[in-house]
Amino acid sequence: MKPLAQLYVQQFKTTLAMMFQYRASLLIWTIGQVLEPLVYLIVWSVVANSSGGSIGDYTTADFAAYFIVLMLVNQVTYTWIMYEFEHRVREGILSVALLKPVHPIHSDIADNISSKIITLPIMIAIAIIFSFAFHASVAPPPWAILVFIPVLLLAFLVRFVLEWTLAQAAFWMTRVSAINQSYFVAFLFLSGQIAPLTILPHPVQILSLLLPFRWLINFPVELLLGRLTMIETLIGLGAQCGWLIVSIILLRIVWRAGVKVYTAVGA
Amino acid sequence: MAYAIHVRDLSKFYVVNQQETGTKAAFQSLVHRRKAEVRAVDGISFDIEPGEIVGFLGPNGAGKTTTLKMLSGLLHPTSGELNVLGYVPSKREAVFLRQITLVMGQRNQLVWDIPAGLTFELNQAIYRIPRDSYRSMVTELTELLDLGSLLKRPVRNLSLGERMKCEIAAALLHRPGVVFLDEPTIGLDVTMQQRIRTFIAEYNRRFGATVLLTSHYMADVAALCKRVLVIHHGKLLFDGELSGLLQQFTSHKTIIIQLDNSTANLNDYGEVESCEDGRYTLRVPKAETARVTERLLAELPVIDLLVEDPPIEEVIARVFAQEEK
Amino acid sequence: MSYFRIFLAFLRVSIYVETAYRINFIVQLFQSLLNLGMTLGGLAIIFTYTNLLGGWRPQEVLALVGVYFLVGGIIRLIVQPGMEQLIESVRDGTLDFKLAKPADAQAIVSLQRVEIWEILDIILGLGVLAYALVKLGETIGVLQAAEFVLMLTAGSVIIYSFFLILSTLSFWFVRVENILVIFQSVYEAGRWPVSLYPGWLRYGLTFIIPVAFATTIPVEALTSRLNWQTLAGAIALSIALFIVSRIFWKIGLKRYSGASA
Repeated sequence: MKPLAQLYVQQFKTTLAMMFQYRASLLIWTIGQVLEPLVYLIVWSVVANSSGGSIGDYTTADFAAYFIVLMLVNQVTYTWIMYEFEHRVREGILSVALLKPVHPIHSDIADNISSKIITLPIMIAIAIIFSFAFHASVAPPPWAILVFIPVLLLAFLVRFVLEWTLAQAAFWMTRVSAINQSYFVAFLFLSGQIAPLTILPHPVQILSLLLPFRWLINFPVELLLGRLTMIETLIGLGAQCGWLIVSIILLRIVWRAGVKVYTAVGA
Repeated sequence: MAYAIHVRDLSKFYVVNQQETGTKAAFQSLVHRRKAEVRAVDGISFDIEPGEIVGFLGPNGAGKTTTLKMLSGLLHPTSGELNVLGYVPSKREAVFLRQITLVMGQRNQLVWDIPAGLTFELNQAIYRIPRDSYRSMVTELTELLDLGSLLKRPVRNLSLGERMKCEIAAALLHRPGVVFLDEPTIGLDVTMQQRIRTFIAEYNRRFGATVLLTSHYMADVAALCKRVLVIHHGKLLFDGELSGLLQQFTSHKTIIIQLDNSTANLNDYGEVESCEDGRYTLRVPKAETARVTERLLAELPVIDLLVEDPPIEEVIARVFAQEEK
Repeated sequence: MSYFRIFLAFLRVSIYVETAYRINFIVQLFQSLLNLGMTLGGLAIIFTYTNLLGGWRPQEVLALVGVYFLVGGIIRLIVQPGMEQLIESVRDGTLDFKLAKPADAQAIVSLQRVEIWEILDIILGLGVLAYALVKLGETIGVLQAAEFVLMLTAGSVIIYSFFLILSTLSFWFVRVENILVIFQSVYEAGRWPVSLYPGWLRYGLTFIIPVAFATTIPVEALTSRLNWQTLAGAIALSIALFIVSRIFWKIGLKRYSGASA
């Protein structure tokens, strides 16, 4: 375990140095991360206002709180590996990783966490500003705040493993953009990014229960908003653990198959 | 003694789609693709003892890089036996990967935007190099490769030669027992090529590592390798000492002659390869060397005369040209 | 006009390159449809809960979506690729080849690359717009149509000039590769009427990153929301920005070629 910890520490230093070079790109990326939930926040607030102040069990202020928390949860859980992997396979950069005696997923996780350690304070500051601007507030019970930490951690792990596994489609196809986009669109509707799942049409809600996405975004957000009972939280935790196991199994299978394809054809 | 590298009947075949030119053929290919088999490596066998520096010579596409990739686990062989330090490379076991290294010309492991030194530290963590071992290695490599303050500068600010030095250093931090170098001097200027050759020889001397290097620069191989493997069209044409290569494949000698005047016609003495200011280079069959030399000395105003083996490049080129037929 | 012929030449190259891979077409079509479906899906959900979005009727928002895709397609077809190429060629020095050509450099770099598959987005956008217009039918007169075309043109010029200014920055700052991405991210906000947004955001989307001119304002012309101040302002801004961007471009070019600015 200790050598792995050292690897993560070193990756953090590496990522930190790289981010300093790319601070302009980082700023641009952050704007995108903020703008999307902000736009939905505004749109739903407008709709709520014109419908007597609330839609379903969300008032205008509730919508604001929902999307601000969502912005943070999204920031903590998102990955960029699906864009990156195709590039790695195509340019043969993956060969360099395959020569190393550690699984490449570790440096990716480390890189992901490292860059978020830096951007998260900025996002939290923005979230606080938005809370004032949109009169949003959260009042979760203390147990919910405690449980939120492991829930968020699980959400991050599941999303990371899932997207890393999906990214390996690059081993088999040269144009993964179609797959990536399909994933992101499904994610948008079924995770709660476009609207709280409770106000989406019934078929969508049912579908979201069967797929992993809602447990990565909607579930942690609702938890911190204090909208879940203990039972519902336990079910959610169970779902997260279940999906973690499933995605790790999938990862191992797909990775082994992918490396076989890659090393058969030529690095 | 156990071999460091053991290869028996190693082969790598690819099946590729044939692309036709022309519109009619293009439409035909939509329905029926013709396939062809490419034999990148075709049944080669050799054994390398620990501590040897072996050169892999061959033109582009001969199968050198393919062989190296199979030896390092990046490529699965189609058939044959392959063993490095007792491990099967394609299994890619961590304990195996920690004992080898592959330096490729085009694929870089140094992270582009940060100082090379940071990538070094990353490698320390990846290969689990103990701290003192790491520190002493960095010191030694800095001294041997004259890295100076290069490690503190972002890699993208380094020249190609400086970058190559750092790449090689990064690849050797974990003191691998087997070192694969794929065209390590390509694109570098002459001084840098020389420096890297000296380094490789020194590294091999100090650490007893087995070194297998590919190159299409004869100078690399001549300077470093007692033993060469010549490969072409996936087949091993020669395995032995460099001098033996010359013996086996040359049938000619080169006579360099300096004349008093520059208007002589030497065509009936032998094949004139070049002529510059009265200095001629002649190519003559080995058996005739003595006779032609006698005639030249007798019949022409010779200032200087020298008999040489043809340049190794030429020998190799002719070997390959012969193989083509 | 010879610049048109230059454009055709670049277009032909793009077509040869892209049609070599038939799969490209299918993939692009799939992605465009997916993108459109996603946008329309979001719209459908919103309008199950309300009849008006900030005063806009569903058909009007649909028209906005059509224009969003149409203008987005135009930008990604001809404006963005050339500018991306420009930034890259400043970095690796290949700009010199283009400057050596006997035509205006700005025209060359602007027309130099055509992402032909974006034409799918343009067609889809036009389709959605046409459908929305049919639904709006009775309220579209000749005046609105004319204003619409005018605002669309002005918006395109503004966006082009904006891109040119951003790209010209690469003559001074080397690491601006991603600067055009900022437009992509912010453009997403153009799917909704800009009037929905709070003042500060509306200001940003109009005067800092001029998304509003590309999407909302042309549709406002169609839906009779346009007042003459906005109309005049858009036209004036488009002319001013075009001139400013050209001057800025010339300054940047001088600097690049080594002459004193």
